[in-house]
Amino acid sequence: MIINVYSISIFFGVAFLLSIIQLVRKNRMQEKYSILWILMSAILLILSSSPFFINTIAAWLDIKNPPSLLFLFGLVYLLVYNLHVTVVISKQSEKITRLTQEIALSKMK
Amino acid sequence: MILKVLAIIPAYNEAGAIVQVISGIRQNVPEIDILVVNDGSLDETGIIADKAGAFVVNMPYNLGIGGAVQTGYIYALQNGYDAAVQVDGDGQHDPSFICRLLAPIEDGSADMVIGSRFKSSGEYKAPVMRKTGMLYFSSLVLLFSGLKIKDTTSGFRAVNRKIITYFSEHYPSDYPEVDVLVKLFRKRFRILELSVRMNQRINGKSSITPLRSAYYMIKVSLSLFIEAIRS
Repeated sequence: MIINVYSISIFFGVAFLLSIIQLVRKNRMQEKYSILWILMSAILLILSSSPFFINTIAAWLDIKNPPSLLFLFGLVYLLVYNLHVTVVISKQSEKITRLTQEIALSKMK
Repeated sequence: MILKVLAIIPAYNEAGAIVQVISGIRQNVPEIDILVVNDGSLDETGIIADKAGAFVVNMPYNLGIGGAVQTGYIYALQNGYDAAVQVDGDGQHDPSFICRLLAPIEDGSADMVIGSRFKSSGEYKAPVMRKTGMLYFSSLVLLFSGLKIKDTTSGFRAVNRKIITYFSEHYPSDYPEVDVLVKLFRKRFRILELSVRMNQRINGKSSITPLRSAYYMIKVSLSLFIEAIRS
């Protein structure tokens, strides 16, 4: 097996997918948050399975070095996912604040 | 006073000042209730305030000024208060001015009254940096709302029932003072600024550091801008 960006990507894609499934299985990640991650590893696997996909898309987009498409994809995906997580955190911190206030007030009476 | 009024005192590690703040309010306005919001203090603030006869709500951890003050407003709403006055726990706010702050609330001429440290009298001497900061905030508030308020960061404020209700739903979590002015203005609440005397804090020191002031200014500028483009 040749070690190049494709084989490494496949390896990481598979490892990643398995880790996510394991996390969900052990109830350490909720299903709804795992969907985007599973999608991410699936796309990563497809892209890295054969140079065909990535070469074709790179040609469309006029990218000279096709593997950099993988990095571009990964980077954009992480940005979007991070944004999503920040929205989730904001909503949760608002809820935690309200819970804290209600608990403190009800302990008072 | 015919109104049922609650004094809300947010306090974090104010064991050295809280008794004086409570007794100061007692002497000047004996008819109002006092609620100390002990925001996860590491010292005896909660116990001391309780012994001094105030109502005390102990937050399980340090929630920050916004969340703490809002807890007071939720309490005021749930217990049917007509008005609330916010007083700092460090003794900076002179309780003899509480009546004056409450007067416009009582006669219905304002929804919120801000106790300003330099509306008219020139007694208050602020360091240059602080003055610059306050001027900056005043200009921002003027720009975004047209409100002419000199002491935008003052936490000495009286509000009526309508604002108690509004605050218990909407209150910024950090650096709330300036932020809420523009929010309230956009909700068409009437805001009034009155001159008060401010004391030196009894103990403890200001939480403002250069880095924090930078964050303060950036955060407030952003919230005001966002508030202005919010529909």
